[in-house]
Amino acid sequence: MSDSTTLADPAKPAKKPRKTSFTKALNDALDIGMERFPEMFLIGEDIGEMGGDFAVTKNLWAKYGAARVRDTPLSEAAIIGTCVGAAMVGMRPVAEIMFADFLGECYDQIVNNAAKVHYMFDGQFTAPLVIRTACGGGFGGGPHHSQSVEGWFLNVPGIVIVAPSNPADAKGLLLASIESDDPVLFLEHKALYRTRGDVAEGYYTTPLGKAAIAREGTDITVVATMRMVPMALAAADELEAEGISVEVIDLRTIRPYDAETILESVAKTGRAVVANEAPKIGGLGAELSARIHEECFYDLKAPVGRVDGLDTPIPFSVPLEHEILPDQTNIVSAIRVTIEAGR
Amino acid sequence: MERDTLLGLYSDMWLIRAFEQALEREFEQGNVPGMLHTGLGQEATQAALASHLKATDCFFPDHRCHGINALAQQRHRGNGERIMAELFGKATGVCSGKGGSLHSADPAAGNFGDNAVEGSYMATVLGVALASQLRGQPNVACAIIGDGTVGRGEFHESLNMAAIWNLPVLYACVNNGYAISMPVGQGHASADIIDLAKGYGFACDQVDGNDIVAAHTKVGAAIEHIRQGNGPYFLEFKTWRWQGIFAGEFRPEAEVKYWREDHDPILMANEVLQSMGVDIAKLNATEQSQRNMIEEWIAFAKESPSPDLAKATANVYVSWEVAPK
Ligand SMILES: Cc1ncc(C[n+]2csc(CCOP(=O)(O)OP(=O)(O)O)c2C)c(N)n1
Ligand SMILES: [Mg+2]
Repeated sequence: MSDSTTLADPAKPAKKPRKTSFTKALNDALDIGMERFPEMFLIGEDIGEMGGDFAVTKNLWAKYGAARVRDTPLSEAAIIGTCVGAAMVGMRPVAEIMFADFLGECYDQIVNNAAKVHYMFDGQFTAPLVIRTACGGGFGGGPHHSQSVEGWFLNVPGIVIVAPSNPADAKGLLLASIESDDPVLFLEHKALYRTRGDVAEGYYTTPLGKAAIAREGTDITVVATMRMVPMALAAADELEAEGISVEVIDLRTIRPYDAETILESVAKTGRAVVANEAPKIGGLGAELSARIHEECFYDLKAPVGRVDGLDTPIPFSVPLEHEILPDQTNIVSAIRVTIEAGR
Repeated sequence: MERDTLLGLYSDMWLIRAFEQALEREFEQGNVPGMLHTGLGQEATQAALASHLKATDCFFPDHRCHGINALAQQRHRGNGERIMAELFGKATGVCSGKGGSLHSADPAAGNFGDNAVEGSYMATVLGVALASQLRGQPNVACAIIGDGTVGRGEFHESLNMAAIWNLPVLYACVNNGYAISMPVGQGHASADIIDLAKGYGFACDQVDGNDIVAAHTKVGAAIEHIRQGNGPYFLEFKTWRWQGIFAGEFRPEAEVKYWREDHDPILMANEVLQSMGVDIAKLNATEQSQRNMIEEWIAFAKESPSPDLAKATANVYVSWEVAPK
């Protein structure tokens, strides 16, 4: 499904793939990271003995102890502040912010501190930290447990935003994030936690800043993130029967994003749809659409189509939530409209 | 206190005052861009802290800390003029001019830089302290915080977390009576910030921040307590800043007179030294030699080139380049 480039580690070669859940893949990455980096530690609410709200840190407290798997009170600013300070002196902290909706509580630490210490002190410090957080809707979480937050951070130079769509990438991207010397916001879409896929055992990384061509096609390019990727792949299957060949790009890193792969693909297909779950105004879709228009204008046969969430908060009631979140049907119709417009 | 120790601190206080006064003059002449908050009036608090912090410790300075930044830079790196150059936005500044007055850092001097979102490093200091604890190093991580920052949630998050983890943090709370225009007793549940800190159960103390002898002694005790592994320490300095608000002086005349004339940290130390038999001529010479050095720093800053424009896009990321214009 993904072309995750695996960097071989001579010490511990990656073994053959096994069907693994997204959650377990993340757990494996943390386990391997903790083994490889003695100065890595985990910090967050209920991540210790309990193993985290989504079980991503399961068993790590028992294996690595309370000093390296640190439970905290509800103090998001102090959690991220602790990570920044420790990272400034060379440790490799990995925080869990239980729900992405709570990132407002530590927004200052991320935006004004983690993202800026390298720049404003002109390279004297780095902030090699990872902030893992559960985002996204579709499960009745309501207005404060369902949001897609990439837009909140898209406009922040210095931060890296990583957003996997499948278990193999989740593991490789998390290990690459841990190794990164830049601060990483690592988005875990809640609807993906239970999905399963082939995941190689042992250590490997998937490069940051590189998109994957999840499916090759010739008529139109769909650029998608997180849960929109499996939806885009299903939409591509559906349209194949009608003779429409869809290329699906899994962006994987949202900032800095891989413009080259997108622009090359659109230059080939001449049509594009960008799909992400967050509200439409000022979001990732707006950025990608603008960039494609700017740089591929003369290759385009139709305006770039956009699939986003509606510009509303996320309501609790399931039919209402379905009404505002984008899905496979929306992707299919956006592709159709873009194909029609270009005839 | 030994006479020579006090003489050293007296000299340090003059470095701070000379630095700030020269800077104020240059600012008024339009040579220093941006905003300027000086530490004038708070020299004893800063000199006391600087005298006990080692280069292997860490301090997060606030917006009035040019003086302690310069002292640490001069003491541990021998190039205090690079703090001055930073305030002028020059290539020779400690951050190549990218940080300025509010973000001058040099980790080799123990200076981890201000965060101009006042008090944010109350959270950051925890991480530096935790790293020392995990690595088994006897280092102190100090956050120099104004009374105003106590209103932030981070104050409580930080003190609580430092307490539960027994972290080697020194909270140096500079209570100068106001946050811009807000009197401390009006902005907080108590005009004595120590009252808010006590609930976290670790060692707390207060000191006259203008009395260099008392401040030096209490900072020493606090740092020793932390180094011995006894956990965090909260020390409140009662002091006063000469600078009013942007529009000018707003504080009662009698208050201004008390702090500027009757309770000036340098005049107070001067009297103690004279009572110890130090010659006034020697004290004047100390002042003059610091003023001369600061004028050299000003000249260095002025003569230094502006940063290379490539610096504008440098060091946004470690692993990615940002394209220039
Ligand atoms: C979080 C935040 N809020 C507001 C400001 C604007 N501001 C700058 S200095 C200041 C007052 C700070 O008071 P205090 O901490 O007592 O320091 P002092 O200037 O009195 O030394 C304020 C409100 C800021 N920089 N950061
Ligand atoms: Mg104040």
